[in-house]
Amino acid sequence: MPAPAQRPVRTSPTRPRIGVVKLASCDGCQLTLLDLEDELLAIAERVDIVEFAEATSNRSSGPFDILFVEGSVSTPEQADEIIKLRAATTTLVTIGACATSGGIQALRNWTDHDAVRSMVYPDPSYVESLATATPVADHVSVDLELRGCPISPDQLRELVTAVLVGRRPMLPDEAVCAECKRRGIVCVAVADGLTCLGPVTRTGCGALCPAYGRGCYGCFGPRESANAPGLAGWLVQDRPPAEVARSFALFNAWSPAFRAVIDASGGPPGPIDRATIPETSDA
Amino acid sequence: MIDARTSIPPSRQAFLPRDGLGRLFTALQADGREVIGPTVRDGAIVYEPLDDATALPYGVAARSEPGRYRLETGDPERAFDYGVGLTPWKRVTFPPVVPLTTTVDDEPGLVQAVVPHRRAVALIGVRACELAAIATQDRVLRAGPAGDVDHAARQSGTLVVAVECAAALSTCFCTSMGTGPEVEDGADIVLSEVDGGFTVRARTPDGERVVDGLSLPAAGDEPVAQATAQVAAVRAAIGDPLPTDGLADRLRANPDHPRWAEVAERCLACTNCTLVCPTCFCTSVTVASDLDGVAASTERTWDSCFTLGFGRIAGDANFRPKVADRYRQWLTHKFSTWWDQFGSSGCVGCGRCITWCPVGIDVREELLAIAGPTEPVGPIPWPIAPADGHAPAPLATVAPARYATVHVSAVRRETADTITLRLATADTGLLASRPGQFVMVAQAAQTVPPISISRIRPDGLELTVRNVGPATAALTSLGPGARLSVRGPFGRPWPVESAQGGDVVIVGGGIGLAPLRPVIDAIMRERHRYRALYVYLGARTPRDRLFVDEVQAIAGRTDLEVAEIVDRAGPEWFGRVGVVTQLLDQATWTGERTTAFICGPDRMMQATARAIAARGVAVDRTWVTLERNMACGVGLCGHCQLGPYFVCRDGPVFSLAELGDTFTVEGR
Repeated sequence: MPAPAQRPVRTSPTRPRIGVVKLASCDGCQLTLLDLEDELLAIAERVDIVEFAEATSNRSSGPFDILFVEGSVSTPEQADEIIKLRAATTTLVTIGACATSGGIQALRNWTDHDAVRSMVYPDPSYVESLATATPVADHVSVDLELRGCPISPDQLRELVTAVLVGRRPMLPDEAVCAECKRRGIVCVAVADGLTCLGPVTRTGCGALCPAYGRGCYGCFGPRESANAPGLAGWLVQDRPPAEVARSFALFNAWSPAFRAVIDASGGPPGPIDRATIPETSDA
Repeated sequence: MIDARTSIPPSRQAFLPRDGLGRLFTALQADGREVIGPTVRDGAIVYEPLDDATALPYGVAARSEPGRYRLETGDPERAFDYGVGLTPWKRVTFPPVVPLTTTVDDEPGLVQAVVPHRRAVALIGVRACELAAIATQDRVLRAGPAGDVDHAARQSGTLVVAVECAAALSTCFCTSMGTGPEVEDGADIVLSEVDGGFTVRARTPDGERVVDGLSLPAAGDEPVAQATAQVAAVRAAIGDPLPTDGLADRLRANPDHPRWAEVAERCLACTNCTLVCPTCFCTSVTVASDLDGVAASTERTWDSCFTLGFGRIAGDANFRPKVADRYRQWLTHKFSTWWDQFGSSGCVGCGRCITWCPVGIDVREELLAIAGPTEPVGPIPWPIAPADGHAPAPLATVAPARYATVHVSAVRRETADTITLRLATADTGLLASRPGQFVMVAQAAQTVPPISISRIRPDGLELTVRNVGPATAALTSLGPGARLSVRGPFGRPWPVESAQGGDVVIVGGGIGLAPLRPVIDAIMRERHRYRALYVYLGARTPRDRLFVDEVQAIAGRTDLEVAEIVDRAGPEWFGRVGVVTQLLDQATWTGERTTAFICGPDRMMQATARAIAARGVAVDRTWVTLERNMACGVGLCGHCQLGPYFVCRDGPVFSLAELGDTFTVEGR
């Protein structure tokens, strides 16, 4: 359960103090902030960026009017830190698949943690990690979330604008399919028979993969009313169940909707047989 | 079945040799038109701008099944053997994204409608079912009280070249829906693809002008006979997969059929069916702005009744939370309540929703299971048709895209979260507002909420606004001198005059008193025309009561009765504590000649309606006003659909007789 938080009052109505921090993550979502090249200076003029290790030597432990949190809670230290950060923050925004659903590292949640540590590190006694990698919302209350692996620059721009202007950010929770159809992209599931998670995945990427003839990988996690079992039930008609489960076991595997499919297929996906990976894959 | 060919003798049909198709393209382009037609992209037939006839899908056939579509090799000489493409033509006449408003330079805070531009296009390859779809959607988007100006501009610039089907897909059912495969009306030029070329029939003056310019020879008997035989073969191949006799009634009679829950388990609510549907017209408004919220714009985008957000209103209440609710809304609207709204079926039988459903749900199968010939017909719990005299009030002054500028002349704080804005305006449309109507209130960089009118003054309006979200937060922070852009008034008013000569009961809960205040005003202005007047008011706490001084003023009069009650109160409150129906329980009047006007939260209105009915007030004299997600105000965006109604246009004021059980059953 999220810890009840005593929230600080916003420091200045006109010039919010903004922080960007990370937990267990790859920093890619933070880089999306820096990729807002056209707006970055204009944003910096309107806010005080008081903590952003990727961008500035300014350091602060709060208070924050807006705190962007990247990454999942993966170590005991992070579990403590996020509670402190929450207490120092008015509007806490989780960014990216790791922070919102646990990320790719949450695949370890199905495994024997000690066994994995021993497999990876010669001396696991130096590795202090939790048995699970979990989303920030499992630990503290979250005000807004930006999904995606990585997050969308457009959605980030919209969120920052909406916060500055004082309106609800337009962050659609509909399926990727809606974006596909508006863009006039030919459905890769129906016309090519590809596995596509678009119908159960939240939009935000602008239907990037289908636009290039690939099925949706579910980077933005489950949409509202995601009927993942319904999609899986259709896919298994001409695919092995393990393959269907594996397509859900990516960046948002630990999200409840996708987890349900993985669990229903008999538990976590086993080790990937490299021979089954298509040639076109970057893996 | 009228065959268009029979009305045009073969001698009037021309023949376009296959290699002459390029000349047709040139003629259309010389007419200043962009030509849009079928072509192959990414393994499907799509309709896109084409430079010339070589881009047409020669030698391509298609195969479609529920959830599966594949192109196949066809006759290399033929270009139109693919059935229907993925793209609905609404992409041209009702595009996915249309700019709606921008802010006004040098006028901070005000917005203006974007003037639609007319683009001259020619559509080539339009099928009979698609012609029916274009006509159906056109009827929807031109329906009263005010049509979609952007669509009207696009439609008026469109020339249609139809090509009659010579091949059917397994998903086709135009024959059942009575829309094809023979081309009858709606095209400027009709082609049939036969050996060596096309038979050509010009059906309108515009079409004749283009065809005459081609100087074509007359078609002989043989091509005309071949064309007739081809389309007859398509009709035979499709058969009658969905018998529609009585379908609309049976569908409405079965809102609780177990199949709705069953299909909801398979349905992904992904919106594909609605977005490929050539008649679906629902849209949402998105807002964008610069970082300061000064320069802002709104756009209208295709939306779908399958999304959770579609039925969501301020405060995150939702009228269709379950996928089963949404699937039922879509199918019932398409095949049943569309008749009430627009006098036709909403389905033309093109089969796109079947083909492009990623889990292969076949509407024909679902309809046969839920409303097939053996399913029961009645009784129909759903409202059957708008009641007599239900037509929207004459609102000739409403221009849905036009914003009037109003000035905030005074602000009165009602409660901790609610204020009343007094707006000054000279706009004749706004000044003609009637009790129960609402306006859409635009502010730069905010969504545009519907707000009930809480007083109609000779020089303007009052709006009572409760802070329930960012847009209303911005409104409640306005001060005197501020300016706003307002559209309206919208909606059907309270039928106040219909209560003359009888008793009137007014029941308001919380902010629900706001739209009732003009009713009280109207009755007090002509008090002698009404008999007894009872006003019952509920609020959460004494501090949440609205218009306290006004209520006290009328409570002192002897020609009416006012009773108030609050859900909870501290020791400072000497009045009654409880729910508003308790006031009714103790009333002594009976309802033979009574008209009731009720507004408040849904549950409060439902409980009040029961209490009112128990006192003998007729259901057709018991009026409520409904809150739904309203984005356009004139029945165009689709969000506020309720059975056969658009709440914004046909309501928001309804009698209980008109609502039937949609008033009490969740998810409708």
